This record gives sequence, C-alpha cells and structure tokens, in this order.
Amino acid sequence: MAAVSFSHITKRFPGAIALSNVSFEVRAGSCHAVCGENGAGKSTLGKILAGLQKPDDGEILLDGRPVRFDDPRDALAAGVAMVHQELAFCENMTVGENLCLGQLPRRFGFVQRDMVRRRAVELLAAIGASIDPARSMGTLTVAEQQLVQIAGAVGAAAKVIVFDEPTSSLGRDDAERLFSLIGQLQARGVTIIYVSHRMMEIHRLCDEITVLRDGQHVATRPAGELDEAALIQLMIGRRIEQYFPTYVGEEHGEERLRVEGLACLSSFADVSFTLHSGEVLGLAGLIGAGRSEIARSIFGLEPATRGLVWVGGTRAEIRSARDAVRLHIGFVPEDRKKQGLVLSMRTGENSTLPTLPLFARFGWIDKAKEISVIRHLFERLRMRAAPDAVTGGLSGGNQQKIVMAKWLAADCDILILDEPTRGVDVGAKAELHAWIDELASHGCAVLLISSELPELINLSTRILVLRNGRMVREVSRADATQDGLLRLMTGLEPATTN
Amino acid sequence: MCPAPAMVRPAIWLVLSAPPSLTSLAPRAIVAHADLLSFSPPHNVTSATTWTLPVRRAAGTVLKSQQIGIIAVLIALGVALTFAAGSHVDVLSGARTNNFLNVYTLVQMGTDASSFAIMGVGATIVIIAGGIDLSVGAIYALAGVGMAMVLRMVGPMGPVATVSVGLATCLGIALVCGLANGFMVIGLGVHPFIVTLGTMWVLRGIAFVVSHAESVLVPSALTSVAKARLGLSADLYPVPVLVMLLVAAIGQVYLSRTVSGRYVFAIGGNPEASRYSGLRVDRIKLGVYAISGLSAGIAAFLGASFYGSATSSDANGYELYVIAAAVVGGASLIGGKGSAISATLGAILIVMIRQAIRTLHLDQNYEWIIIGSALILAVVLDQGGTRLLARRMAAAPPPPVRDTSTSASEVP
Repeated sequence: MAAVSFSHITKRFPGAIALSNVSFEVRAGSCHAVCGENGAGKSTLGKILAGLQKPDDGEILLDGRPVRFDDPRDALAAGVAMVHQELAFCENMTVGENLCLGQLPRRFGFVQRDMVRRRAVELLAAIGASIDPARSMGTLTVAEQQLVQIAGAVGAAAKVIVFDEPTSSLGRDDAERLFSLIGQLQARGVTIIYVSHRMMEIHRLCDEITVLRDGQHVATRPAGELDEAALIQLMIGRRIEQYFPTYVGEEHGEERLRVEGLACLSSFADVSFTLHSGEVLGLAGLIGAGRSEIARSIFGLEPATRGLVWVGGTRAEIRSARDAVRLHIGFVPEDRKKQGLVLSMRTGENSTLPTLPLFARFGWIDKAKEISVIRHLFERLRMRAAPDAVTGGLSGGNQQKIVMAKWLAADCDILILDEPTRGVDVGAKAELHAWIDELASHGCAVLLISSELPELINLSTRILVLRNGRMVREVSRADATQDGLLRLMTGLEPATTN
Repeated sequence: MCPAPAMVRPAIWLVLSAPPSLTSLAPRAIVAHADLLSFSPPHNVTSATTWTLPVRRAAGTVLKSQQIGIIAVLIALGVALTFAAGSHVDVLSGARTNNFLNVYTLVQMGTDASSFAIMGVGATIVIIAGGIDLSVGAIYALAGVGMAMVLRMVGPMGPVATVSVGLATCLGIALVCGLANGFMVIGLGVHPFIVTLGTMWVLRGIAFVVSHAESVLVPSALTSVAKARLGLSADLYPVPVLVMLLVAAIGQVYLSRTVSGRYVFAIGGNPEASRYSGLRVDRIKLGVYAISGLSAGIAAFLGASFYGSATSSDANGYELYVIAAAVVGGASLIGGKGSAISATLGAILIVMIRQAIRTLHLDQNYEWIIIGSALILAVVLDQGGTRLLARRMAAAPPPPVRDTSTSASEVP
C-alpha cells in the first residue's frame, strides 16, 4: 500500500525546470530515500509534498486519495510534515510558542502560558527530548531545533515526515541520535521520506531509494539492489558529452593568486592553492563544504581570520570588496538577485557599477563613453535586452550575463565565479561556458565554483575538492571523473594529502 | 534539453573572435574599437530609424518620464482652481483678476513650497539611498537660530560680510547636523528612523535652549537678499522660488549625471550587491545625510532671511511635509527610486492643495484631512501607474538584437 504517490509532478521556476513529470510511490511505513546531485530537484519535491510549493502539473495521492495543499497547514492537517534544511522558525519566540503556533491555547484572546508549557513538554517527551519550552528558539543548537520540529510533526499526528538533508549541519553524535529517532518513528508506523545525497546515511536508514537527475525521475529501487557505485552512476548519468571544451588552460602561466593557510572561523581552514594566468581552477564540494566562503573571503567580503594572500606575486591585504576590485579581482556571486544585481536599476547601469569611475571625470559621468562601453559589452555578450531595461524583469540567463558584464568591463586579472550557470537556460549556459574559456585563453585567472560536476570537469584545468571546510585532494583535469569527485566530496573515499 | 553544442559554439566564436583580444574590453580600448560597431547592418538600421523620428522620440521621452503623472495632476488641479476660484476687481489697476491664476498667488505658493521642496530634494536623496531623515525640521530651526545668534554676537558688518558669515554659519551648522545623523546611522547600526527621530528632538531642544525660546532677529542685509525683487514689481519676491528651482536642478543633475548619484540608487536598490561591486556603502550613506542636512540649511537661510527672524519652533513638523513631498513625487520608501524634480513638484502639489482650500473658502479645519487623503491617493495612483507601465513594457516586443548566431550556425 502506498502512503504517498507522486503522479506526473512538474514544477517550473523562471528559467529552469525543477521537476519534470516525476512519478513514484512511497510504501507505507518505509523509509524512502530521495537522492540526486545538487539541483536535481529533491528538495523541491519535498517542499511540494509539504505544501510549501505548488506543482505546476501532476498530483499527489495520500493513501490513494488525491490531495492538494495550499500551505503547510493543509499538509499538516492531512498528516504530512517536513523537517527543513533551512530551519523555519520564529526565532524570537520560545520553544513552547513555536510548538503551539497555529493553535495557541487561549482564553478571551489571552495566551494561556501554563497550557503552552504543558503541551510543549508533552510533545517533546513523546520523542524523548528534554528541552525547556521557555527557552528562546534562537538560543537552541541546530540539533535541538530539529528535535523541536520533529516533536511538532509527531504531535500533529503526522503519518508522513519529510527530512530534507537533516544531517547537513549536525555533528556525528547528534546525527546518531537523529538516526535512532527516525528508527523509532518508523517503528510507530510513520512513513519517512529522507532527502539526502549522503551514501552512508541512505544505506543505513532507507529501504527504498528514488534517484532524481535534472528534475527527472531516474529510478526507484529497493536499497539492497543498489550498491554505492550503482547509485552514483544513476545520480550522475552520462552527460559529459554535452560539453566540448575548446580551451584547456595552461597550468603554468604566471602566478596571479596564491593563498596559504587561509582560514575563516568555522567555515574553512588550511586552504592553500596557487592560481595561474590562463588557468581555470575548479572548486568542488557539497553545499556547506566551504567553497563560497573561500571565494567571499578572497574577495574581501568576509575577511579570513588566518592565512596569507598574494596577488600577482605581492602580498595583499584584502579587507573589503573595494580592495579586491582595485587589485583587478572580479567576483560573480552565487545569488545574482541578492548579491549580484541591483534589480531596480537599468541593465546598463548595473553592468558599469564596479567600473563607473573609469567613465567619469571629477565625479561626472561621461554618458557617451558609458553608453558606448555598455553597447560594446552587450554585443559581445549577445544580450537580448536593452541597456535601459529594468534589470529585475530579465530572464535568469540575461541577468547572469549582466553580472558577467560587470567584471568584463573591469578587465579583471582574476575572476571568481560562484555557480555562474545556476538557474540559467541551456543556451545562455553554453554562451557563459564559452566566455569562461575565452577569458582564460586571454590570460585571465579563473576560480570556478560549481555544483555541476560535468561543467566543472570540462572547464577546469585542475579541480580542488573540499569537504567540511578542508581541502581533500587536488585532481588534475586528466584524472577527473564525476564518480571520483563525488566519492571525494561525500567522503566515500578518504582524504589524501598531496 | 541541450541543443547540440557543436552548433552553438562556432556561432559564439564568430562573435567572440571579432575584436582582436579580450584586453580590448578595457574601457579606453573599447572606444578605440568603436568602429567595429558599424559592421553590423541591423544595428545601423535601428539607429537610422530612431534618428529619422526625433519628434516621436522626444514625445516618447516626455510620456515615459517619471514626472508625467504629477504634472498632469498639477495642471488639472490648476485649471479646476482657475475656473472655480472666481475673480475680483484689482483695487489699484481696476482690471479683473482671477482669484487663483494671478502672479501674486502663484509666487506666494512658490514661496510657501520652496522650503518643503528644497528639503524635499535632500529627503529624496536619502530615501533613494534606502534611508529616512526625520530631523530636517529641527536642523532648519537650529541652523536658523544659530545663524541669527552668531550674527547678533559678531555685531554690525558690511552687507556682503553679513550675508557671507550668515550663509556659512547656517550651512555649516546644518552640515554638521547631517554628518552627525550619518555617522550615527552607519556607526551605531540603529535604523535611521530611530536615529533621526532622536536627533529631531535633540537638535530642536538645543535650538530651544541656546535661544531661550526667543525669536532672534536677523540683520536686514539678509532680508534684502532673500526679498530681492530682481526687477519685478513691488510685493513680488522671486528669490525663494528661484532657489527652489536651482536646488531641484542641481539635485536632478546630481542623481542622474554623477558617479555618487548613481551609487545612491545602487545602495538603496541593493546594498548587498553594491558591496559586492566594491562600493563604499557607508561613505555613500554618510554623504546622503550630509546632503539632507545641507538642504535644510539652505531652506533655513532662506526662511530666516525672508521672514527676518529665527526661533526654535521654526519649521515645526516640516519633516513630514518634506517626506510627503518626496513620496508624492514617486520616491519609494524601500529605496532605489525617486527624483529631485518630482519631489519639487510634490511639494508644489501639497502647497497647491492647501491653497485650494483657501481659494475655494473651504473650512480650514478640513485641511489635514484633505492633505492626508491626497497623500495616500497620490501614492496609490503612482503605484498603479508604475504597475501599468511595467505590464506594458513586458508586453512590448523585445528590442532588436543583432543575432549573428542564426545566420552563422547555418553555415556548415
């Protein structure tokens, strides 16, 4: 008997298809893993089930009956709860209030505090957790916050609980505790959907595995039938032939950037590498491995707490993005809407933002010069938008081109690209890839972060693999395979020092 | 699915390989290679068509300009008032004069609007940068009182010296107050609403204490500047109106043509992306509060000079009129949007509504109700218009782009 069946679920985001015609069933009382690479659509599927997002097409059947959730409350009422990756709470309120939110016990409009407390203690005790309900949610550890979420789900008599990457920010002990709790829940007849890409956990906990790739359903098999190698094969598929790199960077151009022993609080430590002119250095790792943090640190946004940086062979103290820009470093950040663009400004204005003083005399913008530069940039990037279009209205691909244009105008020596093709349509992606090649072949040193392994393998001269904020291994272009990288990223293959 | 990249690549390479090297992306180099642009036939066609229709283009610019809505409202209200106001026989000349559309009423309205409008330009710049300044009324009072007291202390001087010392003192005090706001906003990490609410009381309190709540007279040299007739007839004082227009023009040019004006829009639209682009966000913020303070100083100099005295209760409550002027002029309180000319027009609209109440002999007690309702209405209309414009722009066909890929990829 299927507790949940997904039937032809399709979900589109602007510029990208997150899920395409996904159908599979989850057996009642099972622990069902949903796995795939970053961006395969796993989390979206979980969110659709929990009522956080609505599918554009297809339907969900719960115990054989079609259901449609408009918000998480609907889902909870139907017995579906989700334990989130990004924990969603009112951090300013207490544990008790969070647990009772939605049905706060009240009399004449006043919250009955003792009732809140009693109910919260009950809920927490039901999963064997002892957290003081009076504590403020913001003071809890991630593990404790998770327990509160689980307590809420169980308290609402959830029959299906979705766990979205639950161990991504847990230590080993907390993860163990979570696993045993999941076991207990399963014993009580709760159906678990476990979204993860961590092999060890999946094999330890789950009876069945569904693999998604690029938003498509690849397979649903009993866990016993899929060993790790087979699972990885299913997750990555065969996509290498999509890319035809035209330029392979020289490893030994002149040194452009060297970092030694770079560390920043808890996000990464002991990061050392050298980046040469004409080279594309890839950074591989799972979300949270410290890739973006390293990029932001080099660019002066979150200055490193330890370590030394050399730019063009000279020691550099980069304390702000302005320092970095002055050293001819460019940065295409991972979140173009929040970090890359001023959406309320025109596209042309965005593209000259870091370089505006170059088109100005005594603070006065030389409009003719600026416009000619913008025209030129737009033609080179084959922008399909006018320079006076409002940036917020553009497609993801065009927006990403504007972010690229900012740094092309700056004529950077070093360009850091953080997920440069995320959420970009296929055509624009190919153009962006061509640009990265082009930049490197003209001597720019590129540091490329990407969760798409084929992209990383085909564009990079060398790839540094990171795990939990540490460098695991450097892989040369010739030796890089998706399988090998994924094993290093997930920790299936132990770290070695080079 | 991916199209066959083999088809895409050569097309891209054709485009990419046109300029000799990537180093030509350096701005100077691009200008040198500008002749490359003329190789593209479609591009030439589009520019030719736009040039043959300069009239249509100019009309389009006016229609698309941010000010069109508020100008229409001003004209409509003006016409309605002209017809509704009736007329009287002028005692001196004996000619019939419209009760609204006469030069005295118009200049009087301009004078009334000038202080709101001048500070409104400063407020607009702060609001575009994503901030707010509630202390401009208090800065006005302190700068005016401070100037009057300094001039009284210094004693009689020549008219030029008096005006120079007065202006320098007034603007100096206002600038310091603005900088103080700016430093607190960036240094304390407190929301500008709170910071400037605090300084609003503090600065007015200082003005109250130093002046002992007395009205301080300013030397007549200042008054003769602010009330200079500039060749117009008696009882017409155009200086405040001219200063208002000058400030609006300077503000507009600052916002649209200078680097720091562009940065103001950037940090208001997205401070995070601005930081990622290497902008010194804090310094720009400091600058906008200094500008806002300075605008209050200009208004204070004009006001105190025009009326001949300054007291600590001057410009009481003006901050709200000033913010209203900016918002009626289309500034968005979430930042990133606004215009100096529009703010000036907004100030004129507010004064015109007040004038309408007087001209039409409506009950003055309803003034607040009418102004408040008009404020909300204006903003709702503005937002509706913006949405309409956005929809129309989205529906319009994309601009012509020279697309070498289609033609190139057909070549085997």
